[in-house]
Amino acid sequence: KDRKTKAQRPLIKIILRRLPPTMTEESFMEQVSPIPEHDYFYFARPDPSLGNNLYSRAYINFVNVDDIFLFKDKFDGYVFLDDKGVEYVGIVEYAPFQRIPKKKKKKDPK
Amino acid sequence: PETPAQPKEEEPPMHQFIRKILHEDLQKSNEEKILRLMRKLNWDDPDISAIAIQHLAGGWRVRASARRALARLTAELAAWQEVVAPAVVDTILEEIRLTMEDPHPRYNQRRIATVKYLGELYNYKLLDSRDVFTVLYSFITFGVTNDHNTVSPLDPPENVFRIRLVCALLEICGAYFNSGSSKKKLDYFLIFFQHYFWFKYSDPIWTDENKFPIYVYNIYQECLTNLRPKLNMFTSWQQCKDAIEELRQTLYPELGEEEIDNEDHGDDSVNE
Repeated sequence: KDRKTKAQRPLIKIILRRLPPTMTEESFMEQVSPIPEHDYFYFARPDPSLGNNLYSRAYINFVNVDDIFLFKDKFDGYVFLDDKGVEYVGIVEYAPFQRIPKKKKKKDPK
Repeated sequence: PETPAQPKEEEPPMHQFIRKILHEDLQKSNEEKILRLMRKLNWDDPDISAIAIQHLAGGWRVRASARRALARLTAELAAWQEVVAPAVVDTILEEIRLTMEDPHPRYNQRRIATVKYLGELYNYKLLDSRDVFTVLYSFITFGVTNDHNTVSPLDPPENVFRIRLVCALLEICGAYFNSGSSKKKLDYFLIFFQHYFWFKYSDPIWTDENKFPIYVYNIYQECLTNLRPKLNMFTSWQQCKDAIEELRQTLYPELGEEEIDNEDHGDDSVNE
């Protein structure tokens, strides 16, 4: 059933939410690595205009579906600390938007 | 006369520049020029790329008249900088989620502008109809109890703002859900949206002294009428419940024996 497989493309992009706002990509990597095989990683700092709802977040597109469950087991509910010792409980979810950048890299001639 | 703004942290000149061209200067007439400037940024610098993405995602920051231009610019830029499209959409979806987790009225105007901007980005194909419907369904389900005796902190009875968010998003892109599977998706959604509306409308907190806000009622009616002029609107919560039950029987007569395998028979390419 072709149409069935098409509709059931597995979700492989996850978001790790509610990370400390001051966290950097480097410190995230230190705490989380090694990240299982993946083909997309994006770390985003918060938009400062969100007042008291500032959190960093990270997106990972896994290659193997099974790694998602292991990753979730480990980091869903994991307590991350900011530089002042404030606790942030991370949440692992499927990213609501599953697209990632296309592979082909064309250089912008500008 | 110039009034000194609130003293704030010194923003690096490049950040100021990006903010200025995208949120102050941009309008329909100079979009090409600003797109060229945006393309010339040093996208290999992670700091500049991050700020650019944050501002491209900041559709609520621009005047309503410039919103479409910002969406189009983002879509055109995305062809050159492939990281842009997913990062911008992800940023907006996270903001929509966060402001549902903290439904403080201070965000309300921003939320409306943000979902309208998301609708424009859909119109420029940065996301699919299924992503739009994910957001629409999140408005009518996230933290929603569907039980007047159980008050949800995320969707308290007196807060009717999500109805406006649904209408705002549909106002921008709902007209494009008029054929094939997206038409069907909208038809189904409108049943569930009416169900949500009547759940909110029939809440016992609304009384003769404390009436359900009439302008929200009007926005809701107008939204449905514009999308489906011939729609027979439900007039009670019970009617909506019956309609959903009927839909369930039609779509999943086997429900209970088997798991639901996909949303709406999963056919993305139904032809008219």
